[in-house]
Amino acid sequence: MLQAHQQVQATDIQRRQSGTVAARLLRASRNSSSNSRLLRQIALVSLLLAAIFPLFGGSFFTRLAIEALLFGCIALSVDILLGYAGLLSLGQAAYFGLAAYVAALMYLHVTQSFWLVLLTASASVGVFSFLLGAVAIRAKGVYFALITFSVAEILSKITHNTRAIGGSDGLIGIPVPSIPLLPGLEIEFANNYVFYYLVLGTVCLLYLGTRRMLNTAFGSVLRAIRDNSDRVPYLGYNPFWYKLLAYVMAAQIAAFGGLIYPLLRGFVAPHLFGFEVSTKAVVMSLVGGVGTLIGPLMGSVIITFLESVVGSYTERHLILLGIIFIVFVMFLPDGLCGLAQRTFGAGRKVKP
Amino acid sequence: MEDLLAYLHFVVLPQFIDALIIGVALALVALGLTMIFGLLDVINLAHGELYMLGGYAAFTLLGWGAGYWSALVLVPVLVGLVGWTLEELGIRPLLPRADRAIVTLLLTFGVSLIFRDVAQVIWGTETRSVAAPLTGITNFAEVFVPTYRIFVFSAGLLAIAVTWWLVYRTQIGAVLRATAVDPSMVASFGIPIRLVYGFTFLYGCGLAGLAGVLLSPIYAVFPTMGHDFLVMAFAVVIVGGMGSIIGAVVAAILLAQVQGLASLWIPPVWAETLVYGVMLLVLVIRPAGLFNRLGEA
Repeated sequence: MLQAHQQVQATDIQRRQSGTVAARLLRASRNSSSNSRLLRQIALVSLLLAAIFPLFGGSFFTRLAIEALLFGCIALSVDILLGYAGLLSLGQAAYFGLAAYVAALMYLHVTQSFWLVLLTASASVGVFSFLLGAVAIRAKGVYFALITFSVAEILSKITHNTRAIGGSDGLIGIPVPSIPLLPGLEIEFANNYVFYYLVLGTVCLLYLGTRRMLNTAFGSVLRAIRDNSDRVPYLGYNPFWYKLLAYVMAAQIAAFGGLIYPLLRGFVAPHLFGFEVSTKAVVMSLVGGVGTLIGPLMGSVIITFLESVVGSYTERHLILLGIIFIVFVMFLPDGLCGLAQRTFGAGRKVKP
Repeated sequence: MEDLLAYLHFVVLPQFIDALIIGVALALVALGLTMIFGLLDVINLAHGELYMLGGYAAFTLLGWGAGYWSALVLVPVLVGLVGWTLEELGIRPLLPRADRAIVTLLLTFGVSLIFRDVAQVIWGTETRSVAAPLTGITNFAEVFVPTYRIFVFSAGLLAIAVTWWLVYRTQIGAVLRATAVDPSMVASFGIPIRLVYGFTFLYGCGLAGLAGVLLSPIYAVFPTMGHDFLVMAFAVVIVGGMGSIIGAVVAAILLAQVQGLASLWIPPVWAETLVYGVMLLVLVIRPAGLFNRLGEA
């Protein structure tokens, strides 16, 4: 009787403690509110700039901006993993490419229904990311980076060498469907402005949704895992499932970019899986600021436009990418958002 | 029965010998990777590009009229020095950071991009061939193997043996192994850790350079050769266990055989994929690889 009572008491204490742990983690993460206020302001300003951009951009740059937003999705997904779960994925393009290929094949051979394609691509990415994530997350630290890197390489090689899905040429001539949103209301991808604002709106929703989700207890546990993965189990959380959920979620965001990509460019090719796309996504989030969510999207716009401009002069733009990589890793590890924080938020913030 | 023997003799055996040679060269690249990881917790993503640099350096030296044998000695030293510079200027400032595994990985990734593009600027995008110094063919129990490949095999084995001897039978090796376990303890004995790290990079990258020279007459030299090889070398290091010297050698030969023999029956592309399948399988069963880390004998 007494024993049972003690047991009940013990579990009760445990439950209360684990409750307070989550609460404490949450409070700790919200302590940096001046920090997040600045990020919110940055996000707002970027959204305003993005909203008026097509008025000045012309059709070439508007389409380039769409591409930047789509690649920004991969950067955002890299940031969720690196900035919140402490997992460096060097193969995030795998999901971009997978979704792009699934979408392209569906449009070419199966259906013209955007919603059906969305469902299929999302489901296949979901299953694949769950399986790969379960394997990769079990392997700790840098192994994770290597596994994701190798698997993306394998996918790229397989598509490169399978004639049935276009081989090294990829798939071309993908029809551009229109999305029936409501009865009588259809969205035409053929119109650049409609396309741009649709993508911008969706990316905004993805950004807000991600931010909301990472501000809950779930996000706090993730950050705790990032900061000290060994201690989290003692607080009653199993890091594995949290990481896996973050991984699957990140894959879905990268997949959205891939899903839209064939509609923008009309083709898919094996390089979409490739390490260059994955790496670029890491550079983008590094340039914008890891762990800021808005930073990677900004980074994507900067890198995509920079590449387009430099690319018109020389084919050797990898050198530029490499130099940006090195400069940010060595001298600006917290990216442009970090720079902004130090410039505008200095003095108010006390260093820990 | 006789058919089977003939099949084994004339189809399987040559493939086995070929894969053995690739395996030894792969082991050289993987050895450097695994040593650098074992001591510094650094994954050197520029390692493949150092291998590439070895090939191009050989091509250039031979173009200048140097003999192959002098290139064989000179190139590993040159590539080793490049690696040492990389450690001195890039890696060392990042080592005190808490997330050094990730930041050094990103840094070396950036370096690899630059190296690859610089190589294309200097040497162009086309494939360059290097003449083999030995041209004969050796009859090996009715299997004809180019003599040069036999030389590559023996030279690779020798380099592996020297590395093993260096790490497990010399004073330097004792310091290396101790540093892998506890660098601050080693430092408190008055041993300059920065020299140990510098030496590790010099030696590890030198091995990649050596592999570059040795393989250049067989596979020729092209800008993406390092990248292609590195992915394979990673699989080796993952299967063998990061930081394990014996693991790197065993896994290199094992995976090269898997790829070589499998491509007898399935298309080579799928054989390559099979290698990664083996890698994933090992990760599922033994996430830390088949062998223990350096210093944890």
